[in-house]
Formats: sequence, structure tokens, C-alpha cells
Amino acid sequence: MNFDLSLVTESIPKMLAGIGITFQLMALSAVLGLILAVILLLMRISGKWYLSWPAQVHIYIFRGTPILVQIFIIYYGLPQFEFIRDSVFWPILREPFGCAILALTLNTGAYVSEILRGGVLGVDHGILEAGSALGLSARQKFIYLTTPIAARLALPAYSNDFISLMKATSLASTITLMDMTGIARTIVAQTFAPYEVFISLAIIYMILTWIIQKTFGRIEKYLSRYVNP
Amino acid sequence: MDAVTGWWDDYFWGSMIVLQVFFFSLLLMVLFGLIGAGAKLSDSRVAQKIASAYTVIFRGTPEILVILLLYFGSAIALTAIVQVFNPDVKFVDVPPMWAGTIAIALIVGSYATETFRGAFLGVRPGSIEAARALGMSNLQTFIYIRIPEMWRLALPAFGNHMLSLIKDTALISIIGLNETFFVAKQAIGTTGEPFTMYIVVGCIYLGFSTIITLSVMGMEKFGARTGEGAR
Amino acid sequence: MTNSPSDALIQMINVDKFFGSFQALTKINLEVKRGEKIVICGPSGSGKSTLIRCINRLEEHNAGRIIIDGKELTDQVKDIDAVRREVGMVFQSFNLFPHMTIVKNLMLAQQLVRKIPKAEAHKTAMHFLERVKIPDQADKYPVQLSGGQQQRVAIARALCMKPEIILFDEPTSALDPEMINEVLEVMTDLAREGMTMICVTHEMGFARSVADRVIFMDVGQIVEEADPEEFFNNPKSERTKAFLSQILTH
Repeated sequence: MNFDLSLVTESIPKMLAGIGITFQLMALSAVLGLILAVILLLMRISGKWYLSWPAQVHIYIFRGTPILVQIFIIYYGLPQFEFIRDSVFWPILREPFGCAILALTLNTGAYVSEILRGGVLGVDHGILEAGSALGLSARQKFIYLTTPIAARLALPAYSNDFISLMKATSLASTITLMDMTGIARTIVAQTFAPYEVFISLAIIYMILTWIIQKTFGRIEKYLSRYVNP
Repeated sequence: MDAVTGWWDDYFWGSMIVLQVFFFSLLLMVLFGLIGAGAKLSDSRVAQKIASAYTVIFRGTPEILVILLLYFGSAIALTAIVQVFNPDVKFVDVPPMWAGTIAIALIVGSYATETFRGAFLGVRPGSIEAARALGMSNLQTFIYIRIPEMWRLALPAFGNHMLSLIKDTALISIIGLNETFFVAKQAIGTTGEPFTMYIVVGCIYLGFSTIITLSVMGMEKFGARTGEGAR
Repeated sequence: MTNSPSDALIQMINVDKFFGSFQALTKINLEVKRGEKIVICGPSGSGKSTLIRCINRLEEHNAGRIIIDGKELTDQVKDIDAVRREVGMVFQSFNLFPHMTIVKNLMLAQQLVRKIPKAEAHKTAMHFLERVKIPDQADKYPVQLSGGQQQRVAIARALCMKPEIILFDEPTSALDPEMINEVLEVMTDLAREGMTMICVTHEMGFARSVADRVIFMDVGQIVEEADPEEFFNNPKSERTKAFLSQILTH
């Protein structure tokens, strides 16, 4: 058993060819997931059962099942139904890329919604009372007081979820998508050199994790400027 | 749902495998987490460095990659070792269950390391000092004061770690573990109903997650009975 | 019962307040005239904070009527906002907006609620910061200020809304002893200028020198109501006497 360095230098550029797909999966589902999370959050705190209930069911299901199952149900499962194949969504659901985005979005949306809710619940009640006493409406309090404070409180947990999302993009390789992991698995199948290839890839992912952590650390520092000046 | 009829047995045994993997990986996860936390809290610089490397590596790498690496990697390593004694052996197969169990335990253990470390540091120094002042020995303080407090602090995060473990078992199907996921794939081959079969898998996992969540909630209530200091 | 706005700014008539089955206020009757300064004291849990929180509807009363400047507090949201514009409030824990600078703290509600243009809101904010003697802190964040300074900012923030009355909910209880006086000084100045004030406080020196009336509450009821002279020198109720002997020997 020996570690073949030339194989490492050969496979890294090949795997990096898939980094675009990894980034696209990550960025698209992060943005869409955040939008979904905010919608779910607003539904939950609306105080109306017919809004909060569906949101809670969504969160319960998508946090309670493995993301791999969610990806498979969407990619392999949905085409079982004729009406899906006839629907306007078929061009998206036919493609592994569209399915991966959909699954990652629904999944991260559920997690992030809970994180945001934690932030909202963490806002000091007295601050909102002060807003009321000054005559601010519920909407104004939510926009000018709750949102900025909750965003700061939720950020550390959000950055962790962002890293989880980045790692979860690798599961797109299970539905034939050629992201970095998909390419790596192909190379391993050809060369049967799992150490060299997978370890190189792990290092690439670790660098991505590090970049994400640093970036969020910066944002956190900026948002916390009023806490530790 | 008629299509599922012939497959309940297989799903049941698949679920048992999920439980088996969950159980063993839970034990290992606690072990790795405690060792990691112990190393991080120790005075040894080397131990601290190793523990940090452990958490950075396993928290920064996709779960599926760890599983693949451990599975294929250990097979190659074992083959190489066996070949030293018996050059005729071409390939040693590592059971996916063990490679997978260890892999997910290592991953979640890296998160548990931080949980246990935080819980250890979160014990109020006042409680410890008070116990000392009352004349309790180090061991008594540890057993009667520190452990219960740590447990209470770590429980919510620990519940999440258990949920991660149960959900990560699904990933082991990628290296061929014949759990529920694997059953679904076989069933789809004969019935041609992928949605139905994967929904069953989803429901099984949802059931496991629910049981874990409810038991953690129960334990939290029990742990919070002292009230004060619970957050 | 006449309803002349120039005379009584606040009228509370037979007000009851429950928290679940616990009765926090029982048959509260209180009238506050324009320009009057009222000090409310009493043991903790006596309902004094609840009383003033009902006045700007941070708590909803369950029975009775509360009329402020001729407007009755009901479930109508519009009325509540209109009332809150007239009623300023200063909290025990300051409750400044932590994510905004001091001057932004003072400008926010002016702009959002009173729809005052930014430049004018800024001018008003600086004016009141000068009155509470900390214009130089305008661009800092609340956490950078001492407790006494934060409470003075909170008072200035309430003043920016040009309220008819200010409610003080134990404004000095969360402060270190050396900071209490700087806040009381600002409050005394305000009183001298004729602001209508209701203060929940245990600062008996302040009550003596500023209050027109002192109210003693216990278990959700107004037990005694008198001018300070009378209240301190000749209290009628045994409960008032017990409370005063406790608080004055401290």
C-alpha cells in the first residue's frame, strides 16, 4: 500500500472541474432555502393555525428524515406519477440538477427556519415593549427591531447550517450529478485508488469549509459591532 | 400502497439493521466524543492538537466521503496487511456495516466532542467550590455534582447528535448495507413504484426520529426538574 | 363623571387586571391632572408596575375603564397607537435598541410613527440629548454607555415623541448607587418644567421633593393616597407605616 502522489496531482484538477456544480448547488439552494425559511418562519409566528400547522409539518418531515431519502423520493419517486410527468415542473424534475436543488432547498429551508425562529425568540422582550411604548406598529417592530437583532443571534447557527448544506451537495453525486464527489467516485472506480482521490477531495472540502467559516466570522463581527465595540 | 404488501418483512429486517447500526454507532460516538473532549481539555498540547485536527477533519468533510474513504480505504489497508502473511489473498472485503458504523460514529463524535467540552466547562464553578467546601472528595464531586450537571447541559445537543446518527445510517446504503434503503431499491426493481417504496423508507426514519425526539424531551423534563439554572 | 380633557389627563375607573386566575389589580380608581406628578410605591408584587403598564396598554385591563386625554383604551388598534403617541415610557432595564446608535435610537420612532423628516428628527434628537447632558455620546452604541447614561438616553428617547405624560417604571432600580442621582436630576428638571409624570419608584427623597401625590399600593389595591407631607409624616394605614419603616431605615 503506497500513496501515489502523481495520482493526487492528476485527479485534483479533474475534481475541481466539478466545483462549479458544487457552487451552483450550494448558492442556489442557500438562497432559495433562505427564502423558504423566512416564509416558513412567518407562517409559524403568524398565530394562525392554518398557516403555522403546514409549516410545522414541513419542518418536522424534512428534519426527521435523511436528506438522501428526500433526494431519492424527488428524483426517482416523483416520476412514478403521470401527472408529474405532464406538469409544467417536469423540465426541472426530469433533471438531476433540478431535483438536487429542490431537495436541498426544502431540506435547508426547514433547518434554517428553526434557526431563524431561535433568533426571533431570543430577542429581548423589553426591547419590543420599548418599541410598543413608542407607538411602533407590529410590522415596524418586526422590520426595525426583531429582524436585525434576530439576524445577529441566528448567524452562528446559520453558518453551521451553511456548512452542512455545502457538505450535503456531495449527495447529488448519488443521482448521477457530476459534482466534485461524483467525479471523484468515477476516478476511484477507474483507478481503485480511494486514498489518494478521496483524501485530496476531503482537503478541498475542508478548504471550502474554512472559507465559509472565515466569511461568516467576518459578517458576525460586523453585525456584532454594537455588542463588543 | 398494495405494492408494498410483499415487502414488509424486508423493511422490518432493514429497520433492525438501522437500529443495530444506530446502537453501536451511538456507543462509539459517545466514546469518541468523550475522548475528544478529554483531549481538548487536557494539559497536553499534542492531545489538544490531535483533537482539534479530529474535529476540523470530520466536521469539514462531507459524510458520504468519510464513509467511502473508510470503506474502500480499510479494505485496501486490510488487504495489504493480510497479504503480508498470505500473498495469495487478492482482496479482503470489509463488511459495510462496520465501516459505516465507525464512519458515522467518527463524524458525529466530532460534533459531540464540542458538546461534551462545552458541558464540562459550563458547570458552574460555584457548585464545584461548594461541594469542596462541604468536604466532598474529588471523586464524589465528580460523580454527584459534575456528571449530573454536565448531563443536563449536554442533553439538548446530544439529542441532535442522536438524530444525526439515525439519519446518517441511510448513507451507509451507498456502500451496500442492506438496510431499508437497500430494501426499497430491490422492491422498486420488481414493482416499479419508486415513490411508494422510498416513502416507506421516509416514514420508517420519521418514526425513529420521533421516538428519539420524544425520549430526549422526556429526559430533558426529568433533567430540568431542579429548575434553576436550566436554560 | 365629567370628561373634561383639560382637567384629568388620565382617568382609571374600577380597573381590574388578571394574570390567569391571579388578580394583579383590584378596583383601581385614579385620576391624574395635567402637570401632576405622582409617585407610586409599594412592596414588590403589589401591582404598581402593572398599573402603569395598563396605561399605555402594554398590559390589557380586564374590567373597568381607562381614559387618556379623552380617548378610551379599547381593543381598537388605532386608538392604542394614538394613545401611545401621547404616553412616553421609561423602563427599569432601559430597553434601548442595542443595534442602533444613541441618536438613531432617538430618531427611529419620530420617523416611523410621527413621520418626521430625517433632518428634523436628528435635530430634535440632539436637542433632547443636550437636555439630558450627553450630546457627545450621540454616535455610540448603548452598550458603550454607563447605566445612568443609558437611562438618560431612554428618557430623551421618550421626550423626542413630545408626549403629554411620561411613565417611569422603577427607572433607578437597575442602576448602581452612584448613578442614581444623575437620573433623578433629569427627572426633577422635567418635573419643574411641568411634565405630567407617574413614577413607580422607591426613591423617597425624590417623592418628597417632586411629587404632588404619593400613592401606596399593596396586593393590587391602592391603600393610601396623600400629598408627600401627609404621606411621610402621618401615614394612616398600618401597611403603609410598616412599608415606610422598612424602606426608610435602609
